[in-house]
Amino acid sequence: MRRQLPLAIIFVMGVFTIVTNFIPAKPVADLNQMFRNWYLGIITFFTFLGTINLARVSGERLKEKSRDWQYHIILLMALATQLFLGFYKWSPDALREGSPFMYVYFNLQFPLESTMYSLLAFFMTSASFRAFRARNKEALLLLLAAVVVMLGRVPIGSSIWHGFPSVTEWLMSYPNAAAKRGIMIGIDLGLISMSLRMILGIERSYMQ
Amino acid sequence: MSILDRISNLDRRIVFVAVALAVIIPLLIPVGLPVEVTPPVQKVYNVIESLPAGSVVLVSIDYDPSGAPELYPATLSVMRQCFARNLKMVVIGMWATGVPLGQRALKQVALDEYHKQYGVDYVNFGFRPGGAVMLVNLGRNIHDVCRQDVYGTPIEDIPMMEEIRSAKDIAFTITFSMGDPGSDQWIWYYHARYRGNLATAQTAIGAPKYYQYMQTGQLVGLIGGMKGAAEYETLVKQPGLATIGMDAQSIAHMLIIGFIVLGNVIYWFEKRRKK
Repeated sequence: MRRQLPLAIIFVMGVFTIVTNFIPAKPVADLNQMFRNWYLGIITFFTFLGTINLARVSGERLKEKSRDWQYHIILLMALATQLFLGFYKWSPDALREGSPFMYVYFNLQFPLESTMYSLLAFFMTSASFRAFRARNKEALLLLLAAVVVMLGRVPIGSSIWHGFPSVTEWLMSYPNAAAKRGIMIGIDLGLISMSLRMILGIERSYMQ
Repeated sequence: MSILDRISNLDRRIVFVAVALAVIIPLLIPVGLPVEVTPPVQKVYNVIESLPAGSVVLVSIDYDPSGAPELYPATLSVMRQCFARNLKMVVIGMWATGVPLGQRALKQVALDEYHKQYGVDYVNFGFRPGGAVMLVNLGRNIHDVCRQDVYGTPIEDIPMMEEIRSAKDIAFTITFSMGDPGSDQWIWYYHARYRGNLATAQTAIGAPKYYQYMQTGQLVGLIGGMKGAAEYETLVKQPGLATIGMDAQSIAHMLIIGFIVLGNVIYWFEKRRKK
């Protein structure tokens, strides 16, 4: 029963969702709308569940004093602080300019997250120096395209040669779009087959 | 150890310092390279220009602080154009951590620069969870999804929302997006059902994926990365953070190209030596 029930729910809901796409009339459309509302309720609850789970896992790591346990103290403190600042009835509201919540957001979270993302530039440069090699004709073609796009995407490119932005746009609109489209079709076919496998109960790894 | 070996085994901290200098120096001593506007960005601008005053623009803040250096300047520029043209604006977001960014942008542009009235000219509904399903519901009935704004005001008490009920009342939609949920959901679920003018602003790393949707007409235009934002700043004639960042990005790109060339020269010499 523990296996059959989830399989049955997925089968019924999966088939229903596919069918409703082709029957926009009442009462099927209403029922579909009801399920969509349920989904929104469930997904909102997951945010709460995720926060609880994060706190629980961090608490356990802290208790066990596992590797890098000190970072979990910072995480829990930040979580508790932002929760408090967000929920507490401030005057003005938490989301108004000048509130403690906005202060912490723009003076801590904002620079920290931006810095983390910008670190990519450093690693990308280092990686491009070590790994971006023209080992064969295809790699050379890719390398040349990358150089043209890099020049075409910055003002200095058009200062060197005014044609770089146009060539970049062409590369983006045709070879890039064609490749992306092919990849997308491949992904979607895989998605459809995986969905069918789940609906039909062939794929059960998600229950483990 | 030969010079070739030394360069080949270059300490990556030297690379990091070079990148830092390539970014910092142009920020301190700007060159002011001219920014050329590309067709995808121009298209977004043209569509907004063509909207009659009073039309409704739906803005979705689908990014967090990590994407802000690229997307926040674009957000400001698009908002400036919309408010300058007296368009009404409804703001939502699919990323909880992006809500304060939308709030700050609205305060800076709508309130401080254009003196617009909240609830009459613009409204912010903040974070809306549910991704694709939320968008399907939003297009059908905005009042169902956005029952209250970020301050807890019920939608019935917001004057401008009386006439804005579904996707039919939205003249133009733009998503400032850096991942999932974001542009994909807007294109696949919202535009596929409700059509209308949809555009996206993307981080530079995500932008190439969306060229295909411009060809199919699912997107009316695309603002890609900080360069796209700088182009938009040029169009609205208000240079800002993105335009300032262009010099740094130019030098950083040249540096990366330099490292790629250097790496390949070493590779070529090593290959010859082994032969």
